[in-house]
Amino acid sequence: MAGPLSRERIVARPGFNRWLVPPAALAIHLSIGMAYGFSVFWLPLSRAVGITEPVPCPDSMAFFEHLVATSCDWKISTLGWMYTLFFVFLGSSAAVFGRWLEHAGPRKAGVVAAFCWGGGLMLSAFGVYLHQIWMMWLGSGVIGGVGLGLGYISPVSTLIKWFPDRRGMATGMAIMGFGGGAMIGSPLADLLMKHFATSTSVGVWQTFLTLGIIYFLAMLAGAFGYRIPPADWKPAGWTPPVEHRAMVTTRHVHVDQAWRTPQFRLLWGVLCLNVSAGIGVIGMASPMIQEVFGGGLIGLSGVPLRELGTAEKAQLATIGAAFAALLSVFNIAGRIGWASLSDYIGRQRTYFIFFALGTVLYASAPFAGRIGSVTLFVILFCIILTMYGGGFATIPAYLADIFGTQFVGAIHGRLLTAWSAAGILGPVLVNYIREYQIERGVPAAQAYNVTMYVLAGLLVLGFLCNLAIRPVADRWFMSDTEVERERALLRGAPSRA
Amino acid sequence: MVDIGEAERPGSGSWVLVALAWIAVGLPLLWGIWTTLQKAAVLFR
Repeated sequence: MAGPLSRERIVARPGFNRWLVPPAALAIHLSIGMAYGFSVFWLPLSRAVGITEPVPCPDSMAFFEHLVATSCDWKISTLGWMYTLFFVFLGSSAAVFGRWLEHAGPRKAGVVAAFCWGGGLMLSAFGVYLHQIWMMWLGSGVIGGVGLGLGYISPVSTLIKWFPDRRGMATGMAIMGFGGGAMIGSPLADLLMKHFATSTSVGVWQTFLTLGIIYFLAMLAGAFGYRIPPADWKPAGWTPPVEHRAMVTTRHVHVDQAWRTPQFRLLWGVLCLNVSAGIGVIGMASPMIQEVFGGGLIGLSGVPLRELGTAEKAQLATIGAAFAALLSVFNIAGRIGWASLSDYIGRQRTYFIFFALGTVLYASAPFAGRIGSVTLFVILFCIILTMYGGGFATIPAYLADIFGTQFVGAIHGRLLTAWSAAGILGPVLVNYIREYQIERGVPAAQAYNVTMYVLAGLLVLGFLCNLAIRPVADRWFMSDTEVERERALLRGAPSRA
Repeated sequence: MVDIGEAERPGSGSWVLVALAWIAVGLPLLWGIWTTLQKAAVLFR
């Protein structure tokens, strides 16, 4: 008999309301989305030993001694490695386990993700308690990172099958959660740390433990909310469009074939280039607005950042944080907005807009800086961030259109390696170009100009990749017999849901 | 597994469950957005 987590036990009965699936997916994505908000822990963790002030480690201490040292504090740069672990393990686990997910079903994947993410946070809590950074990296970064990958792709295939009429909107709703997770998690973590802080503890391990439990339960609830539709299910009253749409196939490409196609490589490029440009900006948003406008942000036009006093710099830092916060709202708005719009205008056209409009906006940012228009600068980047989020949210539907729905979750998992690559490429480009400019004597306020033109160049490349995407050639598609054989593997009795 | 092709329309009772499920995920999300917007408001002062 099939267990409660198995695929055949979660096939929905007739009359099941498909609108119950997106909140289940959101419960998982809102939980794992806290990965973006981990920087809230860096300052308290950088004084976990000293409590009021960081206790620096001796310069002579070797790298491996740092990993187990309990007498001195961790540097913020050391803690920042967590983000690298997150995105490397997110991408690689999604790529490796995507195929397994298609067979195991979303509920089993969601439960494993809950154990990895919730359990990883709990292991990190123990690591903070013992002051062992390797345990934090292993808990949240490696084990948690695997949970991120599994949790991220767990609802994609299911949502696309439940919403054949609105693929973009359905996946947009879930992926919006990943963008919004930090908006809940960061202030919640802040409240918890204040609550748990004492004269002998910064309250971080207790916060990790609490969050681990909360996220574990929320993700379990989401996983148990998943239902999959029966084969060839379609919404009541909906008939698939009869006109032939070249860029939307009704056939299926096997995951093991999909990644060999030129379309996969082009879509990989599309995602990687769109994300590289956006991720570079996200990481630099706060210092960028401060350096570009300097005193102009607080009514001291023409005074560069370096000439401001401590109090003015503190004001600018607050404004920088506000800018970053505003961008995050537009990031999630873009996820649901652009993905939903793509249902009407098509995926390829949506990405054409991202790349064409994005190029113009990035190239206009130096102009906004030159004329000192903070308003124009903010508007430009808010729109850019909607397209960054929209790129993530629209890609699963694009994949389903090009490769069919049978293996879309697994194919999406493999495509997410583009995200891992972009997570390195984007920030490296932005940081190194800026530093190179400053070393050559370019004023800090103008050091971002070349960066913006380079990012605009990336988007031109993305535009060309998108332009080159054509329907998959016949030879890549599975035959009817192969599709039937795959479905037979997944077939089981309907649940009593 | 039963291939039901076109779905039965969901019962009216299921919409109550849908509303509850959306409230459960929507309220924390709205709280998060509200908190973030409050932080971002500094930009407009």
